[in-house]
Amino acid sequence: MLDQDLVAEVLRAARAGGAEWAELFVEDTVTTTLKLLQGEVKDVGGGNGYGAGLRLLYGTRVVYGYTNDTSRQGLMEVARALAQSQGRAGMTTSSGAGGLDFRRRDAAPLWSIRDHPLHVGKRRKLEVARRAHVAAQTGHVKTTDVTYADVTQRMLVANSDGTWAEDERVRSRLAVRAIAEDGAARAEGYAAPGASLGLEFFDGEQPEQAGAEAARIANAMLHAGYAPAGKMPVVIGNGFGGVIFHEACGHILETTAVAKNASVFAGKLGQQIAGECVSAVDDGTIPGAWGSINIDDEGMPSERTLLIDRGVLTSFMADKVGEMQTGHRRTGSGRRQDYTYAPASRMRNTFILDGPDTPQDLIAQVGLGLYARTMGGGSVVPGTGDYNFTVNEGYMIRDGQICEAVRGAALVGNGAQDLMNISGVAGDLARGQGMCGSVSGDLPTDVGQPHILISEITVGGR
Amino acid sequence: MPGAEAPLSFEEARRYLMQRARELGLGLEVYGERGVATTIQAFAGAVDEFKLSSRQGLGLRALVPGHSGQPGGSGGGAWGYAYTENLSPAALDRALETAAENAALSAPVPNAGLHAWGAPPEIDLHGEGLSGVSVQQKVDMAITLERAATQADPRVKSVPYNAYGDGESLVSVDNTQGLTREYQALHAYTYLAPLVSEDGQSKMKFGMQFSREFAQLDPTRTALDATRKSLALLGAKPAPSGRFPVVIDAECMAAFLAVFSGIFSAKQVQEGKSPLAGRLGQALGSRLVTIIDDATLPQGMNSRPFDAEGHPSAPLALLEGGVLRSYLHNSETAAQAAAEGGAAGHSTGHASRDSYRSVVGVGVSNIYMQIGELSRAGLLAQMGTGLLLTDVQGAHAGANQITGDYSLQAEGFWVQGGEVAYPLQVFTVAGNFIELLAGVQAVADDLTFTQYASGAPSVLIAELSVGGE
Repeated sequence: MLDQDLVAEVLRAARAGGAEWAELFVEDTVTTTLKLLQGEVKDVGGGNGYGAGLRLLYGTRVVYGYTNDTSRQGLMEVARALAQSQGRAGMTTSSGAGGLDFRRRDAAPLWSIRDHPLHVGKRRKLEVARRAHVAAQTGHVKTTDVTYADVTQRMLVANSDGTWAEDERVRSRLAVRAIAEDGAARAEGYAAPGASLGLEFFDGEQPEQAGAEAARIANAMLHAGYAPAGKMPVVIGNGFGGVIFHEACGHILETTAVAKNASVFAGKLGQQIAGECVSAVDDGTIPGAWGSINIDDEGMPSERTLLIDRGVLTSFMADKVGEMQTGHRRTGSGRRQDYTYAPASRMRNTFILDGPDTPQDLIAQVGLGLYARTMGGGSVVPGTGDYNFTVNEGYMIRDGQICEAVRGAALVGNGAQDLMNISGVAGDLARGQGMCGSVSGDLPTDVGQPHILISEITVGGR
Repeated sequence: MPGAEAPLSFEEARRYLMQRARELGLGLEVYGERGVATTIQAFAGAVDEFKLSSRQGLGLRALVPGHSGQPGGSGGGAWGYAYTENLSPAALDRALETAAENAALSAPVPNAGLHAWGAPPEIDLHGEGLSGVSVQQKVDMAITLERAATQADPRVKSVPYNAYGDGESLVSVDNTQGLTREYQALHAYTYLAPLVSEDGQSKMKFGMQFSREFAQLDPTRTALDATRKSLALLGAKPAPSGRFPVVIDAECMAAFLAVFSGIFSAKQVQEGKSPLAGRLGQALGSRLVTIIDDATLPQGMNSRPFDAEGHPSAPLALLEGGVLRSYLHNSETAAQAAAEGGAAGHSTGHASRDSYRSVVGVGVSNIYMQIGELSRAGLLAQMGTGLLLTDVQGAHAGANQITGDYSLQAEGFWVQGGEVAYPLQVFTVAGNFIELLAGVQAVADDLTFTQYASGAPSVLIAELSVGGE
C-alpha cells in the first residue's frame, strides 16, 4: 500500500525523540450502507475512510498520532510532531539509523471471499434487504427498518522491528428491526446476522430468517406483562445470550484491564474462577466469522485462545503492550477500530463451549425463575464487574415449564460471581454478532454460548 | 492505495465539489469537519498514553429531482449520501458520483430542497484558543488529575480511567443554493473514574469538567469531587424492593433527559417510533416541568451557531409547564409535517449529523430542564423517607425509545428524615419516562449540566419501582 523506503523513513523520523519502537498503520476503507424504511429506500450512503496512525513506545508509554494525509509530507509532519511532543530530541538508536529490512508477515488467509462487495452492484444488495423486509411482515408488525452494510478495509502495519503485514478485511451485515402494534401496545424485535464474507453470506435463507426472527420477537412480546423484580434462577438462551459472558468476564480477561488494576481475575491464572461445567475460548480463526481476523492490527497472526478450561483460568487476551505490562503471552488480540486508535487487547469471537445438558434439562431444574431467551445490550463497570443487561425476549419459568412472556426485564449482577454460579451448560452452542465498544473503538465481535443456567441473578422489573 | 496523489486543502476540496456539482447540474450539500485534538492519559503518576490527532472529512448529500421536481430547487427529490477522508480530486469525484448514484436509488421525499438560510447567531465557541498552551502544561494537567485522586484517600486503589483532552475544530456547510458558512470551536476537558475499595466492596464514579477555555479547567477539584462521590458509595447495604418516593439527583435527571431526548424528534414521531406521536398541545408532564433545547448556550457541549444543514440555531421550548409545545425538526421533517397538515413547515434548526460519515437526522443540542424554587436539601426534607437516585446505567439497552419504558441499573442512597442515611448496593429502577415527568412533585434550583450535554435540577418523584433484595 505504501513504499517501503517511505515507511522506513517515517519510522526513523518518529523515533528521533528517543522512542524504543515505532509502528505505522495505514488503511483505505470503503463502506456501503443501504436502508429500507417501511420498504422504501432511504439514507443510502457509504464512503471512503482513509488515513494513517503512527504509534511510538517509550517503555510502555504509548504516544499515538494520526492523519488523513498519507503523502510523504503528511506522514513526516505527524512523525516530527510526535517526536517533538516528547521533548527529547536527537536520540536515535543505532537500529533506527540505517534503514529497515522489512520481513513480510502476511498470514495465509483463513478463508476467501467469493462475491466481493466492491464488485457487486447496489441493486443486488438492496434485494437482500427487500427479502428481509418481506419476511418481517407477519402478525401485528407495522413498522420495519432494514439496514444492509458492508465494509472492505485494506490495511498495512509495519514496525521498527521489521514486521510488514498487509491484509484485506471484508464484512457484511443485515440488521432488521420490527415494531409490532396492537392498540396502545407496542413491542420491538431485532435480528442482525453478520459475517466476514461478501454477498455469498446471503445465499441461503439468511435474510428471510433475520426478518422472521425480528418479527417473531416483536409479536411474542406485544402483549407481555412486566417482569417481576427480585433474585431468581435464570436460564439464558444460546447465541447472543453470550453477551453477558463477553461484557462481564471477557473484558476483564483483556490485559488492558489487568494492567490498570481493574480486573478481579488478575493473578488468578491456574485458579478455579468458574464452575467445572464452564470452558470458554476467544477464537479469531473461525473461517468467515464476524470477529475473525487473519492477522491482528499489530501484524500478529490470529489464534484460538483457550480462556477457561473446566472452570480454571488458562489465559488472558494480550496485545504487545499488554504483554510488556503484565507478562502474559501475546495472543493476536491487538485490535483497533481504524487508524484513529492505537490497538489494545480486544476480543474476537468469544464463547462458552458446549456442556452435557439439553436446554430442557436446564429449564426443568427451575421452580420459579426467568428464561431470558433473547438478550439485548448492556454495560459493565470494568473496575467492579457490575453489569446490567436487557432481556429482549423473556418468559417466566414455573415448575420447570416455560410460561407467560414478560417484558422490561433487566439482569443485574457481577461477572465474577455469576461465573461461579453457572450450574448447567447445554450442548446447543450458537454465536451472535455484535459491535463491541472499548478503548480502541468499536469492533466486530461474535459472542456465543449454549443455553446456560445461573442459580441466582437479580432481575430488575416492576 | 492512491497515496501518491496530492490531496487538495480542505477549503479547496469544498470549492471543488461545489463547482463540479454546478457543472453537472446536481443539487449538493457538503458538510465538513476538520480538527486537531490532543488526549493524555496518566497512570501511577506518569503519562500512560499521549495522542495527537489531525482529521478532516467531507460528507456529501446529493439531491436528484423526483418525477416533477427541479434540480437543486425545492420541488422535491431524493437524497443520496457519500463521504470521503481522501481529498484528492479523484476521490472527490468518486464521492460525488457515489452520492448521485445513491440518490437515484432512493425514494423521493416531498418538498426536498436545499436552501440559503438566514444568518446564524454570533456565538463565541473558541475563546482564547490553544496556541498559547504548551504540551508540558497539558501533561501537567493530566498528571495533576490522576495524582490528586490517587493521593486523596488510601481507599483509592487506582484511577483506571482518566484523561485530559482538548481540540480545535472547524465545521462547515456549503450547498449549491449558494449557502457557505463555517464556525470554529474549542473544547478542553478532564475526566476520571477513581476505583475505591474497602472491606471487599469496590466502587467507581465518573467525574468530568468541560470548558471552552483551557484556563478554566481545575483538575484537582474535578478529581477530589469524583473521589468524594466514589467513596460515598462504600459501605453499601442492600436496597429494598418495592415502590418508594424518590429524589432524582440533578446529574441523574440530566442523564434521563439525554437518554429519552430522541422521543422529541419529529423523525421518530413520523416513523411511528415515538410515544409522543399525536400529542402536541397535550399536558404530559407535571406543570412544574419545562424542557428546553438551546444550541446557543456559550458553555454548552453541543453548542453551534447553525445545524448540520446550515440552518440558524435558536432556543426551543419542547415542554412548557408540562404541555408538549414542539417536536425537533430538520427541513425534511418540517416539510413532511406541513404536507400532513400538522405544522408550519419550518425547521427548528435540529438537523444533526454524528459526523461527516453519517446521514442527516434529527437531534437535540443542549437539552435541559428549568429550575424550580426549592433547594436540594429542601427537596430531601419534603420527601422525608425514600431513595436518592444518583445514577442510572445501561440506558442504551434498558431504555425503550418507542414506548418510553425503562429498566435500568441504578445507584443511590437511602434517605431518612430528609437526611442521606447510607449508600445502597446495586439495584434497578423501572418505569416509564412520560409517567416520570407526570409524577414530578417538586423541582430544586440546582441545575447541573453533565457529560451527556444535558442539564437538569434535582426533582422529587411521587413513586418509582425499585428492584433490590
